[in-house]
Amino acid sequence: MVDTSTAKQLVQAIIDNLEQPVPGRRPVHTIGVGVKGEFVASDVACTYCIAEHFNGKPVRVSVRFSNGLGGVNQHDGWSDVRGMATRFHISGERGSDLIATTLGEFFVRNVDDFFEFSKIAKREKYERRPWWRKVWDLLQLKIPPRNPYPDETKNVDEGALRYANRHRFAQLGIFQVGLIGAPESYARASYHAVHTFWVTAPDGVRRPVRFSWQPVAGVRNTDPKAVPRDRYLFDELRDRLQRWPARFMLMMTIGEEGDALDDPTKPWPGTRIRVVMGTLTLLKVSEDQEADGERISFNPNRLAPGIEVSNDPILEARLGAYEVSREMRGGCPFKWR
Amino acid sequence: MPSDEGVLDRLVDWVHTTDVFKCVASWTLVPYWARRTPVKPLPGGPHPSFQHGDNVQCMMNLIMPLKVKSPIGRAEAALAIAKNKDAIYAGLNNVGTVHFARFVIVGDNICMFSVYDGDFTNYIRDFIATIGEVFNEVVKLVEGGKKVIPCEKNVEAFIQWVHEHDLYQVPDTATDFLRDQEDLKGDRAVSPVDDDLTLLPRKLVLQLRANANISLGSGYRAYPGFSVAQVRKHLKLGW
Repeated sequence: MVDTSTAKQLVQAIIDNLEQPVPGRRPVHTIGVGVKGEFVASDVACTYCIAEHFNGKPVRVSVRFSNGLGGVNQHDGWSDVRGMATRFHISGERGSDLIATTLGEFFVRNVDDFFEFSKIAKREKYERRPWWRKVWDLLQLKIPPRNPYPDETKNVDEGALRYANRHRFAQLGIFQVGLIGAPESYARASYHAVHTFWVTAPDGVRRPVRFSWQPVAGVRNTDPKAVPRDRYLFDELRDRLQRWPARFMLMMTIGEEGDALDDPTKPWPGTRIRVVMGTLTLLKVSEDQEADGERISFNPNRLAPGIEVSNDPILEARLGAYEVSREMRGGCPFKWR
Repeated sequence: MPSDEGVLDRLVDWVHTTDVFKCVASWTLVPYWARRTPVKPLPGGPHPSFQHGDNVQCMMNLIMPLKVKSPIGRAEAALAIAKNKDAIYAGLNNVGTVHFARFVIVGDNICMFSVYDGDFTNYIRDFIATIGEVFNEVVKLVEGGKKVIPCEKNVEAFIQWVHEHDLYQVPDTATDFLRDQEDLKGDRAVSPVDDDLTLLPRKLVLQLRANANISLGSGYRAYPGFSVAQVRKHLKLGW
């Protein structure tokens, strides 16, 4: 069990690596937008999971899309992990959350790894690599690192690479971060919940699963060679939803014995059974962004009956860390179920 | 992009995207690094696994270079398949674990691409038990094929021959490709290690020098995890 003091240290480790503190805001995924929508489960979802939002009746949904970077400076066009936090408003005051990002796998296995990562992957000066060093890279058949974006003077790339070079479990996640790019729209990216959850079927069978959102509009990134634009994702989403709803399919992959159930750094093979659990329809950008974009607080451990957490130490740590962060920014209290 | 870049910065950023650079690098840098850091070919076929999902809908990508590299050689191969179509289909029905199979001619290669359930060795064994004679017609047109004919009487040699002509299947994740290379070298190191992830592009280039043809990832499956038997049963197609 991750105690409160460790949860505070986790959040502090993130805050300590920010360009500048952002009191009253999320330390990472600071920039985000709240959206309203509806989820309808597929006709087979209820045979796999008894959770209320999979029973086939439409469920009201709140979604917060975000840029991964911490801080109030908005850089939509930078290569960055994006977030999609979803609240299924099930009956009464209860909710069930699903927090996903564009990163397929995480880069640390547990809290100790995270503390080591945060020590090594500090923000460091980031400058254009001199041309002669790029030539040396090319002679070694390496791809030179990208040029800095306008206004980008520091980042964690070098430190993260040093960490990955020492830890093979981290290499996939950090490699993916390096290639992740910037989406043309929040509605044109796939989002993965990275952790394993257990779902219970009506016949009592429990299955280990991983969830992903897949955009019906398809995945599309911006041109990485073009000058990145700092602000376009909110307006793009607002314009898109004024014209037509945006949809995502919720895909659930079922793990097998031997798959990594408690380690978010390890992917599951693409050969696992994959079930369409439902369709999310995003209807409009919320008018009250203070409530639906800022004060709303998600937690990956807030789950409807029928879905349970695995023993993934990172998932467990997020329970406390999200609460600490929520308290620090005065977000809506965590209502357990 | 930043405005402090000079002419040489722009030149270097541009030059490595050009076909001329890629061509020169292929003739100079690639052989140089291949000598300095030799890379062995990675074996073909699916990765061994005991898990159910990994043992259904497996892929075989058999690339067999023709002896006669001309339209005549390709026509001979096409005719060998065409005249035995009934035998091939009947044989595949009898094998019973094949989802899809097709023959393709690419360049001067006759290729067989198939998706099957279960163990590779058993698949090939069943295959030659049912259509071994037909396969002899094809194999005799292929480089090195003579030594395994008749394949129904040289079962183990034929299985090995097929395995050698089956494409290396690159894992779905880029870094698992590094793990394959490490496995081949017997490198079982755990954290902390001293890797250099920036060498991934070079490692990929050198691997593609050793394995010129590869299969990219495990492929898309609309209904992963189900065997031929399960699909046919659920769809009530009979057996």
